[in-house]
Amino acid sequence: MKLEHELAILGVIVVAVLARLGLRRRRRARSGTPARGESGRSLGLDVAFARIAALFGDAGLVAAREIKERARGRPFRLGTLAVVVIVALAIGLSTLAHQKRPVVNVALVNVPTRLHAPIVASGAAAGMTVRLTELASDQAAAKALRAGTVAIAVEGADRIVMDKSPRRAASSAADQLANTLSNELGALDAFRAAGLSAAQVAALARAHPVPILSLSKSTNTSAQVASLIGLPLLFFMFIQYNTWTLLGVMEEKSTRVVEVLLAAVRPTALLTGKVLGIGVLALVQAGLIVGVALSVAKATGSSLAQGTTPSFLAAIVIWLLVGYAFYAWVYAAAGSMAERRDQVQAIALPLSIPIAIGYVVGIIAQASDSASLLTKVLAYVPPTAPFAMPALVGLGAVSWWQVLASVLISVACTIGVARLAAVIYRRAILRTGHRVGLREVLSRERIHTA
Amino acid sequence: MAEDGLYLEGLTRRYGAVTALADLTFAVPPAQVVGFLGPNGAGKTTTMRAIFGLVELEAGDVAWRGRPIDAAARRRFGYMPEERGLYPTMQVREQLEYFARLHGLGPLAARERAVRWLERLGIADRADTKLEALSHGNQQRAQLCAALVHDPELLVLDEPLTGLDPGGIDEISEVLSERARAGVSVLLSSHQLDLVEDLCESVVIIDHGRLVTKGTVRELTTSGAKRLSVRVESVVDPTWARALCGVTVSEVHGDSLRLVLEEGVDSDLVLRAAMAQGRVTEFAFERRRLSEVFREAMA
Repeated sequence: MKLEHELAILGVIVVAVLARLGLRRRRRARSGTPARGESGRSLGLDVAFARIAALFGDAGLVAAREIKERARGRPFRLGTLAVVVIVALAIGLSTLAHQKRPVVNVALVNVPTRLHAPIVASGAAAGMTVRLTELASDQAAAKALRAGTVAIAVEGADRIVMDKSPRRAASSAADQLANTLSNELGALDAFRAAGLSAAQVAALARAHPVPILSLSKSTNTSAQVASLIGLPLLFFMFIQYNTWTLLGVMEEKSTRVVEVLLAAVRPTALLTGKVLGIGVLALVQAGLIVGVALSVAKATGSSLAQGTTPSFLAAIVIWLLVGYAFYAWVYAAAGSMAERRDQVQAIALPLSIPIAIGYVVGIIAQASDSASLLTKVLAYVPPTAPFAMPALVGLGAVSWWQVLASVLISVACTIGVARLAAVIYRRAILRTGHRVGLREVLSRERIHTA
Repeated sequence: MAEDGLYLEGLTRRYGAVTALADLTFAVPPAQVVGFLGPNGAGKTTTMRAIFGLVELEAGDVAWRGRPIDAAARRRFGYMPEERGLYPTMQVREQLEYFARLHGLGPLAARERAVRWLERLGIADRADTKLEALSHGNQQRAQLCAALVHDPELLVLDEPLTGLDPGGIDEISEVLSERARAGVSVLLSSHQLDLVEDLCESVVIIDHGRLVTKGTVRELTTSGAKRLSVRVESVVDPTWARALCGVTVSEVHGDSLRLVLEEGVDSDLVLRAAMAQGRVTEFAFERRRLSEVFREAMA
């Protein structure tokens, strides 16, 4: 409970600080006055940022503008904040809920004092808190059981009473504790009857079960949990950032700013800069979300923290990059063919189908704990590999060279897709007045070129 | 091929059955504002796009200072397309800095130029405002700033004066003249022919992608038939000049007439005929207006 309170307080502080910063910024914007030392500081930062961007040529300048404009935009900031808060709450609260120890009230009637501690220890070993209440008689215990103030009554050293008989496949904490106490009190009684000393009995009470090993490769449940979080993250990232790319290209076309840009910059540099800039933002946002998720998982002791190995994290980052790079070119080319939002919707829908297929196949593989032939095939097909291959990695069903082969196939295809996208972009971006068809763009009639 | 300025030679481009450019040749000398005229669909925008490599030509060359235009040369050009284009939600100054950077300026120089041009065009107080929050006229000024921010050697402006109030037109005309005086080649298209006549040293008129006529404004407006403005006080018959051989009355305003004299007609004869009608208070040769030149060229 203490940790929950701390998290809640931390959340309130973060929200308050962000709200405060937002209000100050808005007030400054209204009054037109810069923040203290802002102009000098922002100029220095801007210049440093601009110089770094310039190292990558025109594409770097375009990417820098994308990063700056989008990162300062409300959709990005609020979207990131919302996702981070949701992920943190989902992991933190679910872990805390699982960690909450059930309390079982046990009545003791004439139970020897030496048995009090073992009773409490049995409950603790089963993950529950045992509260003991000493009662004077069996009748008082029966009354308490019927009233529900206690769940179990131990009478003497050899009798356990409950209101209803416990089920063998115990689901409630009281049933589990009753079964455990039944076995352990019986064993202790037998040990005493066998003439063992108190020290010997205590030693036997500390016995631990030996581990059970299996010949088959075990499934890492925690890795599966991590994978089940990683795949939705990839899906969210792909849809969000590729849609940004598509809308960004479309807006540059519809606002006609692209004609001014192309008068100074080559189409490939413009396109590369946009894909690069949005890609960097995607990586930063993904890093932030994963970082927060792992921090919260570690703080709350979630199984996610144990299951997320560096190799799994690397797989998510690699597939985020590879998958984004593949789809970003496709979406950018599609954006150059539209100049209105209603046209964008019609174009984006078919593009999102392979993403959805890959995601569903990956999730099914994880949920069913088995890699189907379809999943294994789709893990090498670039549009679905970003989901299918991490799912196989989560299941432990692939070797490193298979992952490498899939990445290489995707990279090779991405190069081809990028070249085709550049041709489509160059030919479509200045054709205005109607939605440009793919056949029209790829026909031999070439109009606009670099 | 001209060694100075911009030279377009034999530009040809067809879109299916439509001829956008047909062997179009003309030059834009340095330190001059050249008016680029033609009716809608004449090929002006296609020509301007061809200068920036945005149109693939079937034939022809575009040269700058005697050499084919490459990416480095284009960075020294400024362009204002007919369909205005800037980022609506981006702050004006940052937008100008961005365009300056794309044209090769460093970050500090880009900021200095952006501020300077915003001040020059009178919108410095809106520097940190998003473009979409500006009035139409100020958006037009910001657009011109984007074309000027890197101090280009060639300015190509498609309809830069459209939609401006008289004050804005005067302001932008002054800036363009100033740039030309600084040695910049300026090519601008416009349908506002009176403004072009005032602003431009020379004019290129095209139609259906073909060159119709070109020359300095003085040459074009003083060539061809002579025009006379004559005023005779208390004249009985205002159409007295119709009786003269080789003289056409183009306009009549009360006592004033505007006459067009055919080649070889002696203006002294016209003066004597006017004096016979009454007291002549005005007798002056007039230049053709550019709009008349344009209409005649299109006829």
